[in-house]
Amino acid sequence: MSTSSGTIPRRRTWSNFGDVRRMPSEYEIVTHATNWTVRKDRVSALEVNPTSPANLWFLTFRDRSPLQVGDWNRFRDPDEVTYRRYVTMQDEQETVVASLLDEYANAGHDTTHSPEWRACLAKLFAPTRYSSHAMQMAYSYLAHMAPSSYISNCAAFAAADMLRRVSLVAYRTRELQKTWPMEGFGMAERAIWEKDPDWQETRRALELSLVAYDWAESFCAINLVLRPSIEEVLNRQLGDLARRNGDEQAWLLLSSLSLDSERCSRWSAALAKFAIDERPGNRDVFERWIAKWVPRAESAVAGLAILIGGLARNAVPQSEIVSGARSKRESLLRLAGIL
Amino acid sequence: MALMKREEWEGLVRDVDWTLSYADDDAVFPEWQSGTGKIPRGAWSAWEESYKISYPEYVSVQAEKEAAAFAVKAALQRSTIFSSLDEGWKSCAKLHFGAVSLAEYTAFMAEARMARFGLAGPWRNMAVLGALDEIRHCQLSLFFAHEFVSKDPQYDWALKAFHTNDWAIVSARSLFDAMMVAGNVVDTAIQLPLVFETGFTNLQFVGLASDALASGDINFANMISSVQTDEARHAQQGGPTLELLMKHDPVRAQWIVDKMFWLSARVFAVLTGPAMDYYTPLDHRKQSYKEFMEEWIIGQFIRTLQDHGLKKPWYWDEFIEGLDIWHHSLHLGVWFWRQTVWWKPQAGVSKAERNWLNTKYPKWEDIYGPIWDQIIANVNCGNMQATRPDTVPWLCNACHLPLCTYTSSPDGKYRVRDFPLTHNNYTYHFCSKVCRQIWWEDRDMLHVRTIGERLLAGEIQPSDLSGVLQYMGLTPEVMGDDAYGYKWATDYRELLGPESSQPRPNSVGGGEGIPSEALSIPINAKFGDDFVMHVVVVNTSDTMAEVAQRVAYHSVGKRVRSQDRDMVVYYEGRAVADNESVSQVGIGPFQQIFVDYASDSRKGR
Repeated sequence: MSTSSGTIPRRRTWSNFGDVRRMPSEYEIVTHATNWTVRKDRVSALEVNPTSPANLWFLTFRDRSPLQVGDWNRFRDPDEVTYRRYVTMQDEQETVVASLLDEYANAGHDTTHSPEWRACLAKLFAPTRYSSHAMQMAYSYLAHMAPSSYISNCAAFAAADMLRRVSLVAYRTRELQKTWPMEGFGMAERAIWEKDPDWQETRRALELSLVAYDWAESFCAINLVLRPSIEEVLNRQLGDLARRNGDEQAWLLLSSLSLDSERCSRWSAALAKFAIDERPGNRDVFERWIAKWVPRAESAVAGLAILIGGLARNAVPQSEIVSGARSKRESLLRLAGIL
Repeated sequence: MALMKREEWEGLVRDVDWTLSYADDDAVFPEWQSGTGKIPRGAWSAWEESYKISYPEYVSVQAEKEAAAFAVKAALQRSTIFSSLDEGWKSCAKLHFGAVSLAEYTAFMAEARMARFGLAGPWRNMAVLGALDEIRHCQLSLFFAHEFVSKDPQYDWALKAFHTNDWAIVSARSLFDAMMVAGNVVDTAIQLPLVFETGFTNLQFVGLASDALASGDINFANMISSVQTDEARHAQQGGPTLELLMKHDPVRAQWIVDKMFWLSARVFAVLTGPAMDYYTPLDHRKQSYKEFMEEWIIGQFIRTLQDHGLKKPWYWDEFIEGLDIWHHSLHLGVWFWRQTVWWKPQAGVSKAERNWLNTKYPKWEDIYGPIWDQIIANVNCGNMQATRPDTVPWLCNACHLPLCTYTSSPDGKYRVRDFPLTHNNYTYHFCSKVCRQIWWEDRDMLHVRTIGERLLAGEIQPSDLSGVLQYMGLTPEVMGDDAYGYKWATDYRELLGPESSQPRPNSVGGGEGIPSEALSIPINAKFGDDFVMHVVVVNTSDTMAEVAQRVAYHSVGKRVRSQDRDMVVYYEGRAVADNESVSQVGIGPFQQIFVDYASDSRKGR
């Protein structure tokens, strides 16, 4: 920062930004380089024995990941979400959700559902608190393993979004249970998640994603492949089906949750694109992982499509459900510059 | 109808555990990460947080808190408060920002790990909100500190500090990494939320908030008070985890609590102790550091121990004794090595401040008075070179703080001791028996080189103080100096004027006279009643008389008054003849010696 005359100019921002021409945004000021375990010139991630399990874990699954770029701290979340922005934004969404819940409860909405639709809600909607919790765990892993705070924060907000989803599903499940106490709501979800054959491929894919310990493979599996595929079915298509079955409330709630999915897709595509722009060889890395995870996603979606087809007479054909999920995933991968 | 109460539906949010089929339980929850140990896997279903909050409640409450904190900041943006703040208080704030902002982010990583590897669904959920809290604290601290970067480059260290190898940061990083990220999440839940957040953060956040308000720094007080309200909530993850551990493995529980309490107390003695007892302007001090520790830490800690059926740690008497010692010694070290910190340490020993110290700490004058008197004498006669170091302190292998802990001796005198341990033909040094024991038990994790060892191993170049400063990331505009430009010393001008002319025994220079490299070895040395042990390089052919001079160079005339008496070298508890050489005596690298004036200590040390 010294000038040729030897005087030190007044600093405008963190020295860690280097010689920046532009004043960093509030988002950058509070997000930049806050993870000291990826600092330059470190002997090991943590200031403990370099051969301790934690240091070897960070070395193996983060620092030596096949996905490499020169400086991950150059990545930016397109939505520039800070903590303040996150809680403010989600409080607004939850206020909308609360008024929806109140309004439909007052109208006795749950009493109007047909037996067929109630079965859909019981077997497709209520068990998603498990699949969402699995994704919450995966995002939590990504949050602490990612090589930059710019990425970790996105993942932490995604984990919180999943807790939001679990909470809303739990709320609705209890509400449905109160209206329809004999239909398994609040009681049968775990058994469905663990035993229903049509859920098993989804469970298999998500359980396997939890042991994809390379941070970038975990990101690729969940953010680029599984979530866009599965949520296309369990958010958008289930929402459309709800609307066709007179359950506007479910459609509206799932639409609100879809805003979270879309935000996640934006930073996920941006991150993958950043990695490829920085090092074109990263495309091959993504392609290898995508080839590994897409069949699992397709099997998961196929199972859910069978389930939907068996439960709702007015569901779209299974092939359309499957192709809808594929198309959603592929459009994300195109945005990411992988396809 | 209205919305259902949380109590009606939260049970389902908490009910998210299932039996894995497609990946092994051991693979999804590896033991070193999940750390169930002797707690049966099934027992985790009993885990229950004492304070419940739902996602919608969380975002609602937190959005309000954020709005409030930022409203105060915005209102004060154009005020002139910053320019009117006392330099000593600013040092408290700079120290806090540097040592805490990114530590919050490591706490975020800890929460995220618990959210992934915790063995109970409700715990994982709570940890997600805990992770958000910690992002908040990091971002709030950085945003508040950033405002001052253009006014004072030391605020840049709010972000920079933990990216450097500054000695205080290495100490803090070794603590926080071990506490938050390096171990399994059961240990983490007890170490971070229970021991640290229910105890020590009170000290930092409640204590400093009170001093901040008194010092007129409303913005700072507003920020840390807001942070503390989150800590109180997410800190509760420790309780139910400790309950399970006490039921199934109380020995492990006791060890984790004992170990982390000690290591936290060591680091807080340098991060918080000097801020409270030396930097905060005298008129604005609410309580002494010791009083705060007694009220907020000891009381709380004893209650926690009692609530969970734990015993007092084995080192309790040493810890209590340390409340009168640790932070005073560390403050002296920070002030003397002030170039190595990113704030301006306020000496805090004007006459009025010294009276206050003596009121709060009756042993202070006996132990620290003579050392400060020598420093004051040097300042008053303009011998500033003597108020700066030429070498580095010897650092403890466990807490990474200087070996500067006075402990009482049977003759009633307080002396700084070294607690060495030779393992695999290498001698490690510790500030206390407790640090030595903790390191020995946990050496597989804690074993990492101190800055002194890195220097001696040639990792820091050039291998002198300038190289060390560069290694620590300190640039000239940031290096600390006395907060008040030494004005406080004028209090003593008439009292200590003649003393200041005492010559220093530097006929053999500590720096300029270092012998040829092939024969030079580093030793750990202390002179007389000085407060700290140093790295001193001697030649194997040096006689003990020469060794004494080399050691004295770093203490006598700087912090120990010069005396017209012979000096004696003590090695392994015995006085060594003046004419024997280092190799004849058998003093090897990394070994420890004492040097003292003859008449004072022929009895042995």
